[in-house]
Amino acid sequence: MKHTVSRDRRIALVFLLPAVVILFVTTIYPMLYALWLSFRSYDLSKPFIPRVFVGVANYVEVLSSPAFLHALLTTFKLMAMTLSVQVVLGVGIALLVTQKLPGMAVVRTLLLIPMMISPVIVGLVWLFLYFPELGYLNYFLSLVGIGPVAWITSTGWALTAIAIADIWQWTPFFMMGTAAALQSLSPEPYEAARIDGNSRFDVFRYITLPQLKPVIISLLFLRAIDAFKIYDIIFVLTKGGPADATEVISLYIYRQSFTFWRMGVGAAASFVSLIIITVFITFFFRSLQRSQAALAR
Amino acid sequence: MTSNAREKILFYILITVVLILFMTPIYLIVVSSLKPSALMFSRPPTFIFTPTLQHYYDLFTMRPFHLQILNSLIVALGSTAFSLVVGSLAAYAISRIKSRWINDVSFWILSMRMFPPIAVVVPYYIIFKSIGLLDTPLALIIVYSTFNIPLTVWLMKGFFDEVPEALEEAAQVDGHGVIATFWYVTLPLTAPGLAVAAVFCFIFSWNEFLFALMLTGSKAQTVTIAVMSFWSSDAVQWGRIMAGSFVVLIPGVIFVLTCQRWLVKGLTMGSVKG
Repeated sequence: MKHTVSRDRRIALVFLLPAVVILFVTTIYPMLYALWLSFRSYDLSKPFIPRVFVGVANYVEVLSSPAFLHALLTTFKLMAMTLSVQVVLGVGIALLVTQKLPGMAVVRTLLLIPMMISPVIVGLVWLFLYFPELGYLNYFLSLVGIGPVAWITSTGWALTAIAIADIWQWTPFFMMGTAAALQSLSPEPYEAARIDGNSRFDVFRYITLPQLKPVIISLLFLRAIDAFKIYDIIFVLTKGGPADATEVISLYIYRQSFTFWRMGVGAAASFVSLIIITVFITFFFRSLQRSQAALAR
Repeated sequence: MTSNAREKILFYILITVVLILFMTPIYLIVVSSLKPSALMFSRPPTFIFTPTLQHYYDLFTMRPFHLQILNSLIVALGSTAFSLVVGSLAAYAISRIKSRWINDVSFWILSMRMFPPIAVVVPYYIIFKSIGLLDTPLALIIVYSTFNIPLTVWLMKGFFDEVPEALEEAAQVDGHGVIATFWYVTLPLTAPGLAVAAVFCFIFSWNEFLFALMLTGSKAQTVTIAVMSFWSSDAVQWGRIMAGSFVVLIPGVIFVLTCQRWLVKGLTMGSVKG
């Protein structure tokens, strides 16, 4: 075993050190800088005014500001809207496209495309569909007697409009993950269930779903992290408006930093949201581990 | 049999509905990019028309879109190459080192990907401004590597795990050093992994918007920002926006059509077996 330790050390030095150093310089350093900034008053539009130490004033302002709390709430609201629909639709579509019928491999492939499209392009094409007066979505809805809906110009619909665009892009993610899991399930319990004459719904509810649960939870976990970071689609469709109807955390930080040039407040808001996401992730990981432990029992 | 046939019909109807819902936006991008402006919002929509390449022509004559494509290529290829070298070296170390502390290091590297990008945009902006890297491709190459390196580490670790260590030990018995063994024995066996990681890094860099928006001006502008900027001019040129969008989505679509079986692994960071 003694040669392993020295070999480990050599590998670590040659192979691991570059990545660690580079990631440290490119991520930890900016983060420390942001932390330093969050305790200071710094207006980027007036670079010659000294960056005064203001203690926790920025944090107090962020935490007591209704706009920040509203942004936080909007982020979680959007997350709940998109993730719930994506799971149900994604699992449903996965059940369809894993049927052993001709053409399904092609359908599965086509449905993956939205995920690989830049969110800006997703935002733009939905803007085209939602566009006031001109957009085709209201035209098609009017054919079936619905509307017109003020998709991105009314405070009541804007968040839904964004959710729809996000659901369009990321439902395939749940479809893909669930389909992969479905195809690796063992066929035996299904044969037994068929012999016992169970209904198709019962088979899904009692045999398929429990087996899919760990996969669905990890997919949810990964999407939740991304949903917390959502920025691009909203920037294109509504820029946080109308009023503050779609102002999520990222947009709030953006506005503080680059509209009001209050870098200190923006940095403080970043750290508060970083703490929230860390707590959220830890909580999610714990429940994930617990559910997998329960499954193993 | 009849109930079975009816079921099949219902099934194909459902699939058709799903396909229409998910393919319409992509269809719209392609078709609108070829549609004359006068027909863009015609009621009812025009399905049959003489396609025009005018919007694509405008893209390259009225706008410097070729320069923006070049910027995007420089940034995406630069970050991909850099991340691949640094990331696969680290992945090899994580795959081979047996000591406990390596788990902490690998978790730390992975957690880099969970960080909300907006939180570091401000410091990047100030730092790059002070060292004169604002509005250069190098700034974006550095920033994109912060999420491309963790991705490469994660993907490549899986590939290195599958290379039998006996093979490497044999090479070492023959007198090759650790680095020579890695270079001549291990790396060639994981070439497919390198290809997959490269494609992922490339697409994520090519598609990125937030950092490109904040850290570039007119010189280093990438394609996503360029397409977005067509929108902000007073007369919205939808044809041009759609033509630009089509150019931006090409790499992603090619990727899906050619290496879709790697998507599961890459996008779920290995938590779902493909």
